[in-house]
Amino acid sequence: MKNIILLTIDALRKDVLGCYGNKNKLTPFLDSLQPKSIKFTNTQSTGPYTQASFPGILTSSYYLEYGRQKKCSPKRTFISEVLKKYRITTAAFHSNPYLCGYFGWNRGWDVFYDSMQDEVSDKIPYIKGDGINYKVDKWLSSYTKNDNYHPFFLWTHYMDVHEPYIPAKEYLNKVDPLINLSENEMLNLFKEIILKRDVSNKKTVKLLKKLYDAGVLEIDDYVKNFFKILEKYGVLKDSVVIITTDHGDEFGEHDSLSHDGKMYSELINAPLLIYRYNRTQGEVCDNLVSNIDIPPTILYLFGLEPFEKFRGHSMLPLKNYPQNGVFGEAIGKTSNHEKETDKPIYFYQENDLKIIYREDNKSWEMYDLNRDSQELNNLIDTSAKSEDMKKKLMPQLNRWQQNKK
Amino acid sequence: MNEEAKKKNKELIEKSKQVVREAFEKFNPIKCAITWTGGKDSTTNLWIIRQVCIEENINLPQVITIDEGDAFPEITDFLVTISKKWNIDLKWLCNFDMLKSCQSHLGNDIQVKDLDERNQAELKRIEFEFKSFPFEAESYAGNHLMKTVVLNKFIEESNTELLFMALRRDEQAARKEDEYFTNHEAGHLMPEHTRVSPILHFTERDIWDNTHLHNLPYCPLYKIGYRSLGARSSSNPGEVGVPAWEQDLENILERAGRRQDKEKAMERLRKLGYM
Repeated sequence: MKNIILLTIDALRKDVLGCYGNKNKLTPFLDSLQPKSIKFTNTQSTGPYTQASFPGILTSSYYLEYGRQKKCSPKRTFISEVLKKYRITTAAFHSNPYLCGYFGWNRGWDVFYDSMQDEVSDKIPYIKGDGINYKVDKWLSSYTKNDNYHPFFLWTHYMDVHEPYIPAKEYLNKVDPLINLSENEMLNLFKEIILKRDVSNKKTVKLLKKLYDAGVLEIDDYVKNFFKILEKYGVLKDSVVIITTDHGDEFGEHDSLSHDGKMYSELINAPLLIYRYNRTQGEVCDNLVSNIDIPPTILYLFGLEPFEKFRGHSMLPLKNYPQNGVFGEAIGKTSNHEKETDKPIYFYQENDLKIIYREDNKSWEMYDLNRDSQELNNLIDTSAKSEDMKKKLMPQLNRWQQNKK
Repeated sequence: MNEEAKKKNKELIEKSKQVVREAFEKFNPIKCAITWTGGKDSTTNLWIIRQVCIEENINLPQVITIDEGDAFPEITDFLVTISKKWNIDLKWLCNFDMLKSCQSHLGNDIQVKDLDERNQAELKRIEFEFKSFPFEAESYAGNHLMKTVVLNKFIEESNTELLFMALRRDEQAARKEDEYFTNHEAGHLMPEHTRVSPILHFTERDIWDNTHLHNLPYCPLYKIGYRSLGARSSSNPGEVGVPAWEQDLENILERAGRRQDKEKAMERLRKLGYM
């Protein structure tokens, strides 16, 4: 395969996709990709928010591996840096400020657009999906002029599902024509309800979820247009497209909103499709994988040697994937503001068992995801497997402690 | 500094000198030029080239600096003072046409139609399609016109064949594989020339060790926390008040204080509901 394209959609819950069982038809285009994709049903993110998750996606490393830093540690190696060594062209188009050049995410890219030089509004504080698509279109139009262009790795990231939830009217009408909110009213919900993590009114939380769903419907159109662009330049037939998210979003499942430092499924269980144009049949893979496996998978797809610093394993070929269990870590912040005093939170999952440790109150939780998908029944004091699972998570905790010294 | 560090420093310099000597074997010194920004790297570079010239009895090639219209006064002072002290006939290069069209005022809009033919052609070459752009040395169009074009023009008019640069491999991961000599083929509006970076193997730490060991002059901005100096409006100190050489050079990116706007990033994060 000539090119690899990584398409990430910020804050996209797995359970809003039709191909993962949602009945509301929010993602008709993404669902239509299924017959040419491997659909991973059991992908966990390395963390519940962008800064904790993207080290996995782009550098195959864990968030706290190099201590607690605001900027991306120079000790991490980006997949783009590795690919450049092999003379593969690397291009990135996104609008997430946590991943901008200032925070050190511009390493290894031949083309790096983080939108920071462009103006944005309060209501939509990022460049929308169509704007990102426009940039991709411009770049591909010049890059593919020469028929013998070098293989490329393209990373595109959309922000449109992310709060503030202010979807365009046409999408909101499709989700619920009875909602009649002005943009200012939606912005107000963001300020008064989401920022305050106020879940006291169930009706309001439901309303927020509908606004969010409208954003998903909108994103689906951007993905559709993105694929049209790939087809227009004849790129799609020569590419593998990996589609996933960095994390999900919470609507009161564990008494809060948005995506703070928690390790429950609504935040870390991610959709993951690996699409190939000339695949004749869709495939479903139940392997427990992590987004830390994405960089090694990209190397595999390019036919390149594994890179020793990457912590993940190639998800392909499916049968060779080691069934080890997956880790994640973040700062266990409980509001929109991360405080210096906030302490880490960790999880480890093996088969259907997930164990979580919060350092601030030294609490352990363990859930059987098969029987208790909502993670409400803590088994830590009753399960015979608790000690064994603790032992498996412990080295991860200690590693961070060592690096801190 | 211990003996081992001194020995290492000596080896680093000797390697650089070899590269400089090789350059003078391949190219007539009259056809060479040295770029000097007044920053720590290009000052070290110039200091080494100057030594080789004295040792080999070669006239120092033309030294050039590019005025981007947004330089720190401290840098300008430094260039003036040290060129006097080192007896250097420094040539100041500048895109006057561009400065004229915005009255040298940072942030003023420049109308593409007001620029001269060459500048317009240059914008076309980089596929810049807008009618105007703000005057900022590190904006896409501004950077090209204020730096690249000025340099190209100099190379062309002076028939320069070799440019001494001061790139370092550790500056960016992308430079890891760089060679000392790189040939730049002629393109549309770009004359052919070779570039050489004698200090390619120096790390940021080596630069400071060398600067202190040999008492090299440096711009005072480094003392108050700047680690990397670009245009004034786009360079920020690493750790304010901590001299560059006392900062965590190994773990924090040298150019982190440069180009990207911290305020802008913070503002965006606030709007997204963080902070």
